[in-house]
Amino acid sequence: MAALLRGLRAGRAIRGLGSVVAAPTATTPQCRSLRRSFHCAALRLQDESKSDKPPSSSSTTYHEHYQAHTTEQYTTAASQGDSASDPAAEEASRPNTSYQDQSGEQGEEYETEEQLQARILTAALEFVPQHGWSMEAIAAGAETLGLSSASTGMFYNGAGDLVLHFIAQCNSQLTEILAEQHKQVQLGQAEPKKTADFLRDAVETRLRMYIPYIETWPQAMSILLLPHNIPDSLKHLSTLVDDIWYYAGDRSTDMNWYTKRAALTGIYNTTELVMVQDSSPDFQDTWNFLDNRIQDVVNMASTAKQVQSTGEAVVQGLMGAAVTLKNLTGVNQRR
Amino acid sequence: MQRAAHTALYDWSQIVGPATIRQCLKCKAPARQSSRAYGVIPAPRDTDEREMLHRILRVDHAGEYGANRIYAGQMAVLGRSRTGPLIQEMWDQEKKHLEKFNEILAENRVRPTALLPLWNIAGFVLGASTALLGKEGAMACTVAVEESISEHYNSQIRALMEKDPERYTELLQIIKEFRDDEMDHHDTGLEHDAETLPGYWLLKNAIQLGCKAAIYVSQRV
Repeated sequence: MAALLRGLRAGRAIRGLGSVVAAPTATTPQCRSLRRSFHCAALRLQDESKSDKPPSSSSTTYHEHYQAHTTEQYTTAASQGDSASDPAAEEASRPNTSYQDQSGEQGEEYETEEQLQARILTAALEFVPQHGWSMEAIAAGAETLGLSSASTGMFYNGAGDLVLHFIAQCNSQLTEILAEQHKQVQLGQAEPKKTADFLRDAVETRLRMYIPYIETWPQAMSILLLPHNIPDSLKHLSTLVDDIWYYAGDRSTDMNWYTKRAALTGIYNTTELVMVQDSSPDFQDTWNFLDNRIQDVVNMASTAKQVQSTGEAVVQGLMGAAVTLKNLTGVNQRR
Repeated sequence: MQRAAHTALYDWSQIVGPATIRQCLKCKAPARQSSRAYGVIPAPRDTDEREMLHRILRVDHAGEYGANRIYAGQMAVLGRSRTGPLIQEMWDQEKKHLEKFNEILAENRVRPTALLPLWNIAGFVLGASTALLGKEGAMACTVAVEESISEHYNSQIRALMEKDPERYTELLQIIKEFRDDEMDHHDTGLEHDAETLPGYWLLKNAIQLGCKAAIYVSQRV
């Protein structure tokens, strides 16, 4: 009986000890969430200060790793903030960042500013149908990544950055698709397409990437026509057209290089314009227009060839006539 | 049948084995070259290097194209004279050079200069008009042009050697080979009485000035 009482008293003492230990950390809910938001802000500052350091050797991105790590940090902070030991939580999650700094493995955690901007812009694309091509979309995208909407301050060009990023993304997707097809043909697993068909498929594939954003595409096109965006948009257009012709098999090194690319640029731009005001099912009118334009170019090329061969024949005829005349008048005789 | 194939393979490996081992011990640097995938220029590390290499290839291609047209012009006038075969021989070498550069440009997706039609006409007119001055005129034109081109190739070789001779070995090899051919043409021109042309000094300097301008412009446009 005495032992029981002694045990009870010991238990009460231990619980008392526990409450004494917990007392400094036991706070009101509001205070706890404030501390957590300070903690999160501190983490964000740490991350941003790391990204301000000059880039180290690796240029590869470890997006998923970085993203998983940051969400892990936030979830550990969140879960441990609810428990009665906030300092322990801070210590548990902070070693993740300081440990990396000390070990010197900057490549794993490190992300350049361009990569961060690219991530934000990619996330912003899903808000474009809602907010248009604007800073609001970028702000919404930044928020889905857990960053504050003030991070839109990084983008001096705003909507232009978003549109150019989207175009660059579409171009690289197209290049991947064309390279894959090229590989298939080289492995003999697919038949090589005729040039006209190849061009039609390439342009169609590329324009179809605009379909999810077709409502707001006129706004994007007008943004691209702003003077400070024109050099970049022209650069993207020229690399697009160069890629398409390269995979179509063009290896010319004379004026044909220029005429082919000029023709394809014309086709692409006019088809894009037709597409933004096309209301037929699945843009069938656009693809018909594209077919007709490519056919026009093919016809023009064959007409040019015919003209050239006719011209050559005419010149030969004239030379023959001149020689005959010289013979007739005796000018050719050696005296 | 299988036994025969087996013994054939066995014999073959006996023959190839020690020889290849000896070969491999002799050659020290094939590994790096094979990892470069048979290209003439290395894969550019960044846009600056890419721009530099493309500029070099573009102007060299324009140069060979122009030289081609100059010889074509000379042949059009002097083709049936005594110097015809000589000019034809030099023209054939230039054709080979142009072919090589066409290959390199196509492989590396280099944009050719937009002034090609201009060099087409200008080259032909230069060749034909100097050939109208006679054999000495044609030779003087050859001397002037080949001297310009050799100087230009030499400065490219210097620039590439300054940057990184090992990285650009194949390109340097090609440029050196072509420069040696152009020097040969230059010497051939001198041998065949180029300097006896009246006004040689004036013509030579005028043509060289024109070549310098052409090189400057072709690098940029």
